[in-house]
Amino acid sequence: MSDELTIEGIDESATVAEAHDLVMRTHTRGGLLRTVALGGAGAALGTGVAAALPSVARAATKNDIAILNFALTLEYPAAAFFTEAERNGALSGDTATVARVVGAHERAHVRALQQALGKQAVKKGNYNFGDATENQQKFQQSALWFENISVGYIKGQAPLIDSAAVLVVALGLHSVEARHASWIRRVMGLVPAPHAFDAPISKQSAVAQFRSRGFLAVEPQMVARRTSPKVTG
Amino acid sequence: VSDSVTVEVVDADAALAEAQAVEASEPRQAFLRRAVIGGGAVVAGGILVGGLPRLTASAAPSAQQDVRILNFAALLEYLQAAFFTEAVAKGALSGETLHFAQVVGKHERAHVNLFEKTLGSKIRKKPTFDFADTTADPARFRSTAVLLEDLAVAAYDGQAALLTKPTLMVAAQIVSVESRHAAWARAMVGKEPAPRAYDPPATRAQVTAVVQRSGFVTSA
Repeated sequence: MSDELTIEGIDESATVAEAHDLVMRTHTRGGLLRTVALGGAGAALGTGVAAALPSVARAATKNDIAILNFALTLEYPAAAFFTEAERNGALSGDTATVARVVGAHERAHVRALQQALGKQAVKKGNYNFGDATENQQKFQQSALWFENISVGYIKGQAPLIDSAAVLVVALGLHSVEARHASWIRRVMGLVPAPHAFDAPISKQSAVAQFRSRGFLAVEPQMVARRTSPKVTG
Repeated sequence: VSDSVTVEVVDADAALAEAQAVEASEPRQAFLRRAVIGGGAVVAGGILVGGLPRLTASAAPSAQQDVRILNFAALLEYLQAAFFTEAVAKGALSGETLHFAQVVGKHERAHVNLFEKTLGSKIRKKPTFDFADTTADPARFRSTAVLLEDLAVAAYDGQAALLTKPTLMVAAQIVSVESRHAAWARAMVGKEPAPRAYDPPATRAQVTAVVQRSGFVTSA
């Protein structure tokens, strides 16, 4: 008998346990069936994420809030990009499916992060994607860029996250973004998984890449606002 | 091993007992087919979610815990590496399926190498495996690949928060590659590569139950 087949020792922390419970409750069959009935898988998934994140963020530290806020800074334009591409209706075949499915996921991530951060959420910027939401090839390239930057950023931040519950949720988003990237690469005719290991991207690098991409019409706040306490008395 | 008995241990036993009961009444091929029909739902559907253990234990990350978790992950990496390597060696695959097996096999072997280097003498004994005809039949190979890759994603996501930060940094570089593999495998069998907006984690007990039910591990 393998020692793997008889669980020994303790390998779960209370915080992770809570996160698991929270997340898994939203994925119970009853819950899924209810939400699927309302509006398809996309709606169910959105609900799942949105339900999972807010309670997590209540326990978040300032540091975690800043990390989630920059994740939101990346999710806003990603959601806007895929949504605009779907609305434009210029894409076809698997590429159109990517726009629809990934767009639904990114919108779910935005909603979840907004709810998690509440009043502390950064504001959405203004974006100009040019013809990247109409031209099939440009769309694919930009879509891949969005996904890889998210994968790299979350990966780079993961060891810096204070709360285990926030970490579990962040990684749940991280692997979905990696699935997206793989899918897009396959649609482009590239090897879906090009490396044995995925390197992280520092926040500085993510910021630089984001700015140089030229999608920003108006610069949003890139990091959580750090205001000095106001003297009101 | 531990100074406190946890609910999880009890529940893990229950999960394994349930797994054995099901296994006794269900041939392995039937389980694999059923598991595979769910695809990612192996994790989010009946098998894992249905048996979600109550988790109440507490264990702060430590070097010792890292070794236990990495050895658990090493079992999955050994399993995957052996599966893809055998599938390529058997010569029944062609086209994109063969390319997939070659590329993913190379990655999984690289992951095994990393674990062997990282754990050194503390690494578990390399298990032996019996993949039956899942490495000889292209359709069964593909659906088993979906199962193994989705399972690895959920396993890593479930253990990450229990690791020390330096080890987490390494694990995070692997989990997204497993996610890319999973999406690729799913696309090949006509399933949505990213079926959910959020990948739910699996506990060690849940992953172990699936590995046991697969019957792939014949010795530890």
